[in-house]
Amino acid sequence: MNITGSVNAIKGGEFLVRETEADSIFIPEEWNEEQLMIAETCTNFLAQHVTPNLTRIDEQEEGLMPHLMEEAGALGLLGISIPEEYGGFGKDFTTSMLVTEKLGAGNSFSVAFSAHTGIGTLPILYYGNAEQKQKYIPKLASGEWKGAYCLTEPGAGSDANSGKARAKLSADGKHYLITGQKMWITNAGFADIFTVFAKIDDDENLSAFIVEKNFEGLSLNPEEHKMGIKGSSTRQVFFNDCKVPVENLLSERQNGFKIAVNILNLGRIKLGGGTVGASKEVITMAVRYANEREQFGRAISKYGAIRHKLAQQAIRTYGSESAIYRASQNMEEATEQFVASGMDEIKAKLKGTEQFAIEAALIKVHASETLDYVVDEGVQIYGGMGYSAEAPMDRAYRDSRINRIFEGTNEINRMLMVDMMLKRALKGELDLMGPAQAVAGELTSIPDFAAAEEEGLFSKEKKYIKGFKKAILMVAGAAVQKLMTQLGKEQEVLMCLADMLMELYVSESTQLRVEKLVGMRGEEACKEQLDIMRVYINDAAENILKSGKEAINSFADGDEKRMMLMGLKRFTKTEDINTIQARRNIAAKLITENKYCF
Amino acid sequence: MSVIVLVEHTEGNIKKKSFEAVQYAAHIAQQTGTTATAVVLGSIADAEMEALGNYGAKKVVHIADDRFNELHARAYTSALIKVAQAGESKIIVTLYDINGRAVAPRVAVQLKAGIVAGALSYPDIDNGFVIKKAVFSGKAFAFVNVVSDKKVIMLMPNTFPLVKTDGKASIEKLDISFTEKDFGIKVTAVNKVVGEIPLSDATLVVSGGRGMKGPENWGLIENLAKELGAATACSRPVADAHWRPHHEHVGQTGGTVRPDLYIAVGISGAIQHLAGVNGSKTIVVINTDPEAPFFKAANYGVVGDAMTVLPRLTEAVKKFKQHK
Amino acid sequence: MKILVCISQVPDTTTKIILNPNATAINKEGTTYVINPYDEWYALIRAIELKESGIATEIHLITVGKAEVEPIIRKALSLGGDEAIRIDAESIDPYQTAAYIADYAKSVGYDLVLCGKESIDYNNGTTGVILAEMLDLDYIGFATSIKIEGNSAIVNREIEGGEETDSCKLPVVIACQKGVAEARIPNMRGIMAARTRPLKVVTPSAVSPLTEILSYELPLAKSGVKMVSPDNMDELVELLHSEAKVI
Repeated sequence: MNITGSVNAIKGGEFLVRETEADSIFIPEEWNEEQLMIAETCTNFLAQHVTPNLTRIDEQEEGLMPHLMEEAGALGLLGISIPEEYGGFGKDFTTSMLVTEKLGAGNSFSVAFSAHTGIGTLPILYYGNAEQKQKYIPKLASGEWKGAYCLTEPGAGSDANSGKARAKLSADGKHYLITGQKMWITNAGFADIFTVFAKIDDDENLSAFIVEKNFEGLSLNPEEHKMGIKGSSTRQVFFNDCKVPVENLLSERQNGFKIAVNILNLGRIKLGGGTVGASKEVITMAVRYANEREQFGRAISKYGAIRHKLAQQAIRTYGSESAIYRASQNMEEATEQFVASGMDEIKAKLKGTEQFAIEAALIKVHASETLDYVVDEGVQIYGGMGYSAEAPMDRAYRDSRINRIFEGTNEINRMLMVDMMLKRALKGELDLMGPAQAVAGELTSIPDFAAAEEEGLFSKEKKYIKGFKKAILMVAGAAVQKLMTQLGKEQEVLMCLADMLMELYVSESTQLRVEKLVGMRGEEACKEQLDIMRVYINDAAENILKSGKEAINSFADGDEKRMMLMGLKRFTKTEDINTIQARRNIAAKLITENKYCF
Repeated sequence: MSVIVLVEHTEGNIKKKSFEAVQYAAHIAQQTGTTATAVVLGSIADAEMEALGNYGAKKVVHIADDRFNELHARAYTSALIKVAQAGESKIIVTLYDINGRAVAPRVAVQLKAGIVAGALSYPDIDNGFVIKKAVFSGKAFAFVNVVSDKKVIMLMPNTFPLVKTDGKASIEKLDISFTEKDFGIKVTAVNKVVGEIPLSDATLVVSGGRGMKGPENWGLIENLAKELGAATACSRPVADAHWRPHHEHVGQTGGTVRPDLYIAVGISGAIQHLAGVNGSKTIVVINTDPEAPFFKAANYGVVGDAMTVLPRLTEAVKKFKQHK
Repeated sequence: MKILVCISQVPDTTTKIILNPNATAINKEGTTYVINPYDEWYALIRAIELKESGIATEIHLITVGKAEVEPIIRKALSLGGDEAIRIDAESIDPYQTAAYIADYAKSVGYDLVLCGKESIDYNNGTTGVILAEMLDLDYIGFATSIKIEGNSAIVNREIEGGEETDSCKLPVVIACQKGVAEARIPNMRGIMAARTRPLKVVTPSAVSPLTEILSYELPLAKSGVKMVSPDNMDELVELLHSEAKVI
C-alpha cells in the first residue's frame, strides 16, 4: 500500500490512505487551564440556570429561553470564536467546540444555543461585509439579539437548492421583496435576526439575506409540537413581500447555496460536539442510577448485563470524542496554513472547514447515533423509571432523536461522505487510485506470512487499522469499477461504504488518542482507555467485515467475489480478545468514579 | 494546672451543652491528674453556677461584668487567659459553637497552643495528645495530635451524654480590668428568635424539603416539632424558594446540626444536604420516592406522602406521651 | 480601601474520600479541587462587589500552598481581584497558615480581611480568628452581610439563637457565610484577564505547626435502613423510643 511519508499537513479525507502520527493529533486531555476554566463556566451555567429549569424550558415559558441566552451572552459564551473587534473573544475552533460539547448537555437550551451561535451568527460573520458585521455581530455575540436561519421549506429539505422562496427587487431598487415559506426554523419564536435563503428572480442558485424580525412582511406560525426538544422554539416563518433593504443581501447574489453548505459543514462537526456532551451527561446519570438502584439486594451496577451497557455507552462516546477533537484541530491547522499563505482569515476558516467536510459529515453521523444508543440504553438501565416522564431519561431519549435528522439527515451525510471522497479522487486532490490498485495487487499475491511482527503496545491495532484501510479501498475501488456512474444510485452500497469509513476514522482516532495519552501519563494510568480502544477496534473490524460483505455480494460474483471476500476477511482479521472482561474493567472504573470519567 | 472550661449561658441559664463541656473538661482533668475550673462570664446567679459542680467542676470562677452578656471575644479571651495564667493551666476547653469558635483560637494564639476544633473524643494521652474530629464535612474522621505544650480543645456539642453527679464546686469571684480594645465591636442590634429552640442546640430536629410542596403545608412540620419539642429545619431549595427563613437551612452552605434525632421529610438527600446532618445520631427519612438517596443514610425509613404520614406520626407521638 | 481575601483549595464536595493503605493520608488521585465555597461564593464575591461599587480600590487574594494550587488561584482571579499571592509552603495546621498570611498582611497593610467561615476539608474555622489575633485586629465570624460606612464595617452576623448587627472600626477580619453575597460564574472576560493578573509567589519564614494529623478513619456504613409502613406510625415512635432511645 502506498502510504506517502509527506511532511505536508494531512488533508481532509486523507486518513483513508495516510498514516497519522499520534503526536500530531489533538486530544481532549490536552486542554490548557484557560480552556478548562471556560468548560467549568459552561458546566456551572447549565447546573445553575438550565438543568433546574428544564421543565419550564420545555413548557416554553414566555421569555425564559431568550433570557437564558442573554445570561449565556453575559458570560461571553455566545462569542467564543467571534473576533474581539466584534465583541467576541477570538478563541480557536477547538475551544468553541469544547463550549459546544459542555453546553451540549443542556437539552433544548443546547439547540437554541447551537442554532444561535452557528447558523444564526456565522453566515453574517463569515460572509457579511464590514457594515453588516459591525451592525449585527456584536449584538449577536452579547445575546442582545438572537439569530435564526431559514433554509428548509415544506418542499425542500435535504434538497435545499430546490426551494420556492423568491426575491425580487422593488421598483425603486432599494429593497428586495422576499416571498416564501420556511419551515422548522429553530429559535424563530424569539429571534431578532433571520438569515434567509431565496432565489432572486429566476436564478439557478440561492442567495442569502439578513432579515430583521421587524421588517414588514415577516410573520410566524405558532410553535410546532415536536417529539422532543420541546423547549426549542420551532416555527414556520412566512415572507410576504417582506421588505429587505438591498444592503442586507449577504455576500454575492447566488452565493447562498455555498454559504448554506459551508455553514452546514461547521454545523455538522459542532453537532458532533454537542451530542458527545449530551452522551457524557446521560452516561453519568445512568452510572449514578445504576449505583443507587438496588435489585435482589445489590446495586444494579453490580450486574454484568448493566455493566456491559455502561461500558458500551462509554466506548462509543470515547470514540466519537476522539474523532471530533482530532478533526477540529485539523480544521484549525488547515485554517492557519491558509492564513499563512496569505488568505483572508475568514476565508481561510471556511476553506479549512471545507477541507475536512468528509470528517465533519462522518462525525455528525457517528456522534448522533452514539447519543441515540446512549439514551436508549440509558432508558433501559433506568428500567421502569426510564419510561417514566418524571425521570430525566424520558427527556434525554426524546431530545436525542432529532440529531439524526437535522443538519442533514444521517443518510444524506453518509452519501456525502462517500461522494466527497470519490469526487476528490476524481479531481486528483486525493490519490485513492494508487493505493486502491496496490490493494488489488495484494489480493492476487501470496500474503507475506514471514514478515516480522512489529512489537509494541499499539502495533496490533495499527496493523488492524492498516487492514481496515485496505478493506475500504478494495471495496470502494471495486464498486467504482463495477458500478461506474451507477454508484450514486446504489444508495445501499454507499451506506455500507460510509459505515466502513466511519468505523475506520473513529478506530484510528481512538487508537491515536490512547497512544498519545499513554505517552503523557504512562500505560498504568490508561488501562481502561486501552480497553476502550481494543474493544472499539475489535467491534469495528466486525462491522467493517459485515458492511464490506454486503457491498461485495451486491455487485461482484464468481472468482472475483470469492477473492474479494477472502481479502476482506484477511484485512479485517483481528486476534480474539476477551471483550467481556475488557468491558467489565471499563464499567468498573465508571462505577467507582460514579460518572463518565474518560 | 487545672483544666479551664468556658461556660455559656443564656440570660443567666447555663446551656446544656456547657454542662457537656464541663463534664468533658473534668474527664480530661482526671486523665491528667488535675481538676476542672469553669469560667462563667456576665450576669448569672450563684445558684445556677453551683450546678456546674454536678458535672465535675471543682471550682467556678465568675466574672460578673455585665458587658459579658454579649459576645465580646477579645474580652472573653482576656478573661480566660487571666484565669489560665493564675492557675498555670495547660488545657483550655470551649465548645465548638459560634462563641467558642470566636474565642478559643485567640486564646490558643496567646498561649501558643494547638487547637482541636470539634473534638469528638477524649484525648488519647498515651500516644501524645490525640483527639478525634470530623473532617470533609463528616465524610471522614481525623486523629489530631496536639504537639504544643498547651492545648485548646473545642468540644463538639451533643457528643457525650450528660451524667449528673452530686459533686460540688466552689465559686470564686474575680474582677479584671479590660482595655478598650477588648470591646472594639459595638453591637447595635440583636434579633434573637424567641420561643424557638435554636437549631444548632436542638437535640430533636424535624426538617422539610421540596417534597412538602409549598410553605402552606409547613403546619404539618411545625405540629410534629411542637409535639416532640423539636426545632424545625429545611433543605436548601426550600430556603432558596423563601418557603422558610434562611437560618433554618441545614446543609453544606447552611447550618450544621448534630441532634439525637433528625426527621427528614420530603428531602431527597443530596450529598450537600447530608454534609450538614450526617452527625445526627438517628435519622428518619419520610419520602414518597423509595429511590431517594437519603434512605441510604437513614436508620428508619417511611415511604409515603408527607401529607398523610406527618399527621399520623404527630398523633402517634401525642399518644406515646400520654401513655408515659 | 485595600481588601485581602484568604482562599484555600479543597476537594469538591462530591469527592469520595479514599484513604491510603495505612490511613495516614487522603488519596488525592482523581480528586477534583475547588476554591473553598465559603471563600469563593461569599468572601471573594463580596470583595468584588465592594470594588464594583467604588468602596474598595484594590483586592488581593492570598493562599498558602505549593504550585499545584495555582489553578484555583487563577480561577479566583477570573472572578475578580487585582493581584494574587501564593505563600509557597505546605501548611500543616491553621496556626501555620495564619502565621504565614499574617506575616504577609503586616507587610502590606489591609483595611479589610475577608475569609470564609470555615474550609470544607478540615472544618476548623480557626484560621481567620488566629489571623485576627496575630494582626491584633477585631474579628467577626459567621457574617451574613457586610456593609462599609466610612471607616467602619457594619456586619450582620449569626449569634447563638439569632442574629445581631455589629459595628466595628476598620481594619477588621470578617469570616463570611451565606447571605454575604451570591455566587457568580466566571465570565469569558474574567477568565481571559486572569492570566494577565499578577500572581506573586512568596517564600515564608519558617513557622512550626502546633498540631498534626496522625491518621484518618472512615465512618462506619449505616447498618441499613429499617423500613416502617406509613400506616404504622406507632411502631416508628416505639422504635425511636425503645431501640434508638432518642425520645
